[in-house]
Formats: sequence, structure tokens, C-alpha cells
Amino acid sequence: MAGAKRAFVLLLAVLAIALLIVPEANDGPLKNMERALVSVASHPLRILDSVTQGIDSVWSRYLALRSVSDENRALRREIATLQEEANRLQEKAAATERLATLLNLKEELAYTTLAARVIARDPTNWYHSIVINKGQDDGVSIDMGVMTPTGAVGRVVKVQRQLAVVLLIIDRNNAITGLVQRTRDEGIVEGTEKGWAWIKYLPLLSNVKVGDIVVTSGMAGGFPRGLPIGRITRIERREAELFLSAEIQPDTDFGRLEEVLVIMNPRETGALPLLPVPDPSAPAKRTERIR
Amino acid sequence: MKYLLYVVLIILLVPFQAVMYDRLAIFGVHADLALIAVCLIGLQAGELDAIIVGIVLGFTQDLFTGSTHWENLWLKPMLGLMASLASHNVVNLTLSFSLALLLALSVFSGSVMFLLKSLHGPGVDFLAAAQGIILPQACYDAVLGIVVLKLMQWAMPTRLHVPTAGYE
Repeated sequence: MAGAKRAFVLLLAVLAIALLIVPEANDGPLKNMERALVSVASHPLRILDSVTQGIDSVWSRYLALRSVSDENRALRREIATLQEEANRLQEKAAATERLATLLNLKEELAYTTLAARVIARDPTNWYHSIVINKGQDDGVSIDMGVMTPTGAVGRVVKVQRQLAVVLLIIDRNNAITGLVQRTRDEGIVEGTEKGWAWIKYLPLLSNVKVGDIVVTSGMAGGFPRGLPIGRITRIERREAELFLSAEIQPDTDFGRLEEVLVIMNPRETGALPLLPVPDPSAPAKRTERIR
Repeated sequence: MKYLLYVVLIILLVPFQAVMYDRLAIFGVHADLALIAVCLIGLQAGELDAIIVGIVLGFTQDLFTGSTHWENLWLKPMLGLMASLASHNVVNLTLSFSLALLLALSVFSGSVMFLLKSLHGPGVDFLAAAQGIILPQACYDAVLGIVVLKLMQWAMPTRLHVPTAGYE
């Protein structure tokens, strides 16, 4: 047994030496064996290689992602800050524009006004009113008119020391005297449930038309003459009634009021800065009477 | 603790409602937070609390409305009293009872407001008011009230006031 073993080892040694000394030209069978072995061994090698590469790639991605994630977080923070700043600047720009318009108007007006900010709205569903940040301490008193560059807004109904409640002209409980600009017919402007207004008690023979502009008459209340209220959108003629009524669509967007002007003394001068040029076809006699 | 809660409610509720007006609206209808608060106090704490808080909340609400007739000053305590009296007949405030009560009280409040507005101003169409304001507001009030009530019951499992008539 020991002799056979020794013989086998010896054979292997001889074979190894033979392989080393066999000339290259005659190593064809060996090459074939090598190829066969390589082709078998290459599969697990490739698999192992791809697994190793995969692990490497995952690891490197993880490492890269960690830094990207931090960077992403920082960028998101920056975007949020910039967006906030952009919003703030947009808001500032809008406020500046609104205030500039208000300031221009304030300078143009012939009567004293006080700029105020709308700080709240009516907490119930039953009244159309706003709360402004100016009150008794600023000289605001009941029945003063309130306006914006687009026209009349309402009148002050309650005053506290530092705030006042303004009942809008679109509230049913509000009534101001109005004038159809073209025909110079006078009536009472009241609010409607739709958030529009009605001008009532117009003369039955008045030739008011849809599209006519209604302005404040200045006869009573805290408004000067000629402040725009809105445009007539519908005229109602009832047979049994002695007067005409007309629906007015106000020019002011009452849902977006932010700054307003309180008219401190509407009868300071007789000037009519906002009154547009009257239509020459309007009856002169009636105009004379109203003035 | 209870009185502190009332003070916070009185100081913050109406200004909060007036300032958050647009954000609290659903299809242009706003819930009356003062009404809900007074009714819930009536249900949970009894008549006296409801009347006192109702008077103060109603007064505060009237300060910020366009109305010059101080309707809320007497309407809100009345609603609190009604809620409290109604709750005397029940041992446990069930969801359906509370919902129905809030709905009914809000409809009552809306109808009274409508009547007062009609008395002081030009005529208003009741059906239009009911459709546009009274009923939507009542639904909003009732749902919001129930949510607040559930939160209160979760935070305070027992009622603050035990109406004797209901437990005898």
C-alpha cells in the first residue's frame, strides 16, 4: 500500500516535470484542458465579481447618498427660505402698490381723509361690515363715510377708542343718497342679499339706462358729492309704484378690502375730484336743481 | 380652571372669528363660534355659566358687528339657557341629542336674527334667508359643535354641572 502511494507521488512529480519541459509546440492537449477548466471556473468567478462590484457600488452610493441627502436637505431649506422671502416681497410689493394708489388719491382729494387698515370682518352672517384700525382717538366718529380708490365703501356705525365698525353699502340696513351721473336723478342706495345694491325712489319718468354710473349725491351722510358707487345692471319698473328702482353692481370688491380712507369732513370744499365729466346730453335744468 | 377657560374664551373667541372670517367660511357661510360656545357651556356647565358667558360673548360679538341693536347681548345668554334647560332632561349627552339641539338652537337664533333684521331694515325674503344663511349655518354650527363637544368629553369625561332633575 505504501509502495503504491509512493509510486503515485513519483508519477505526479514526473508528470509535473514533464509539463515544465514539454515544448510549447506540443502543448495542445494541455491547452484544451486549461480552456475547459477556465470555462468552468469562469462562471462562479464572474458571479462573485459581479456580487463584489454590486456591494461596492451600493456602498459607494450609500456613502454618496449620505452627502447628497445632507445637501438636499440644505437646498430644500434654502428653497423654503427663498420662497418665503419671495412671498413676503410680493406681499410687500402689492401692499406698496395699494398704499401708493391710496396715497395718490388722498393727495388728490379736496377733503381730509384718514387712511385705515381693515383688521376684521363681521363675525356673523347677518351683516356686511368691516372693522378698521382707526377709532375715536384718531378722530373717527359715527356716520363718517369710508371709501377706496374705486369708490364708496360704507359708513361708520360704531366707534371705539382704537377701532371702528363700518357698515358696507351692500348691507340691507345701510342707506345713502345716490345720484345717477348721466341723468342727475337722485335716489336712495341700499344693499341687497346678493352683495350688490339698489337705487330706489328714482323718478318714474327718468331715462336711466343699464350701464349708467351711480355716484354719491352728497346731500346727506358722510360722503362728498360724486364718489362712484357702481353701475346700473337692471332697471325695475312696477306699474303700481310711483318710483323706479335699479340694481347697481358696485365697482369695489368688498371681499378684498384691505385699506380704506375715512372721510373726515366731506364738506370741506366744494371740489369734486372724482366726479367724471358729465354727459353734455344730460338735462341741464335738473343738474341745476340738484347742485 | 373653568373660569380661566371662560376668560380665555371671552377674550379670544370673537376676535378670532372676526379675524379668521374668510378662512372659517364654507361656501361663504360661517359658523357662529359664540353660539356653539354658549350652547356647549349650557350643556356641560349649567344655566348660570351659560347666561353669564352668553351675555359677555354676545356683548363682545355686538361690538364687532354692523348691527346697532345689540341682538347678541340677549340672544346668546338665551340660547345658553335653552341648551342648559334641554340638557336637564338627559343623563348622558348622546351624539344625536346634542346634534339635534345645536341644530335647533342655531335655526332659532337665525330666525330671530332674521326677524330683527326685517323689523329694523327693509323687507327680506325669509326663504332666501333660510336657504342662504339660516340652514347652512345651522348645519355648520351643529357639526362643529359636536366635534368640540366630543373633544371636551374626551378631555373632561364628566360634566361640570350635574343637573339634579335629570338624575333623580
